[in-house]
Amino acid sequence: MSGDCGPMNENCREVLDELDVFLDNECGEDLATSVRTHLGDCPPCMDRADFERALRDVIASKCRDAAPSGLVDRIIDGLKSAKPTA
Amino acid sequence: MSRQDGETGALAGGTVRQAMTDDERREQFTRDALPYLDQLYSAALRYTRNPADAEDLVQDAFAKAFAAFHQFEPGTNLRAWLYRILTNAYINRYRKQQRRPNEVSADGWGGDDNGDFSLYDRIAATTERSAEVEALEKLTDDEVKQAMADLPEQFRMAVYLADVEGFSYAEIADIMETPIGTVMSRLHRGRAALQRALYHYAVKRGLVPVEVGSESSRSTGNEAS
Repeated sequence: MSGDCGPMNENCREVLDELDVFLDNECGEDLATSVRTHLGDCPPCMDRADFERALRDVIASKCRDAAPSGLVDRIIDGLKSAKPTA
Repeated sequence: MSRQDGETGALAGGTVRQAMTDDERREQFTRDALPYLDQLYSAALRYTRNPADAEDLVQDAFAKAFAAFHQFEPGTNLRAWLYRILTNAYINRYRKQQRRPNEVSADGWGGDDNGDFSLYDRIAATTERSAEVEALEKLTDDEVKQAMADLPEQFRMAVYLADVEGFSYAEIADIMETPIGTVMSRLHRGRAALQRALYHYAVKRGLVPVEVGSESSRSTGNEAS
């Protein structure tokens, strides 16, 4: 893979097609290695990958809610009368 | 007294579990499963988009999980097992009611696009490098939650399970009871739709400049009600 990355080339396109699978840790080791190599060589692709990673972090951190107070007690109360089905 | 061997311990564990009294099982369930309450409530709120329904759903899911707890295999993933029960309970209970006839299913959902949208391309096109992530971080919790709520149900569930809960494709396939290929396609389209919605909120609040002639200057149909 060339270290000279100007405008988006064939390598970039191939890597970007696999970027989600790579960032999700769902691709095989061979593919992961080639994506990593390309990202190391290509600042624009690395920048995009960093952005996608940061976006996942933002979504994960801003989509949380605490259960309303009292819900835990209602659940525990419910369990007291419940019988596991045989 | 020294331990004889590991196998005895493992066998004993299994036997003890079989012979558990109701009280012991209840205690174990409370100790192991209840710590996931906040996570499950968050998921329920994303699913139902309504705090009262979310609370009912979580209570229902915990009751079902406790009733089936003896079927849970110790050592396997309790969190994924609880999510599966929650998701199942949601589908059975809420989808059947068809309370939102205006909500189309993901399969029939075309939105106003072909499914591709890159927030990076939009923001990078109008913003200084390195300010892109900063713009994202300025989005409020409410804006991100609303963007999620704007998604069709099946996209919303897949994106939530992957990006917020960090489940693997295989786990999501199991939780949603659908093939992995379907999970990947819902994730791909769901993430694009989520990025589109996030972009809309970012533009609306002036976090990123409006591109002249871009779709953001028109209605995206995703306005929060």
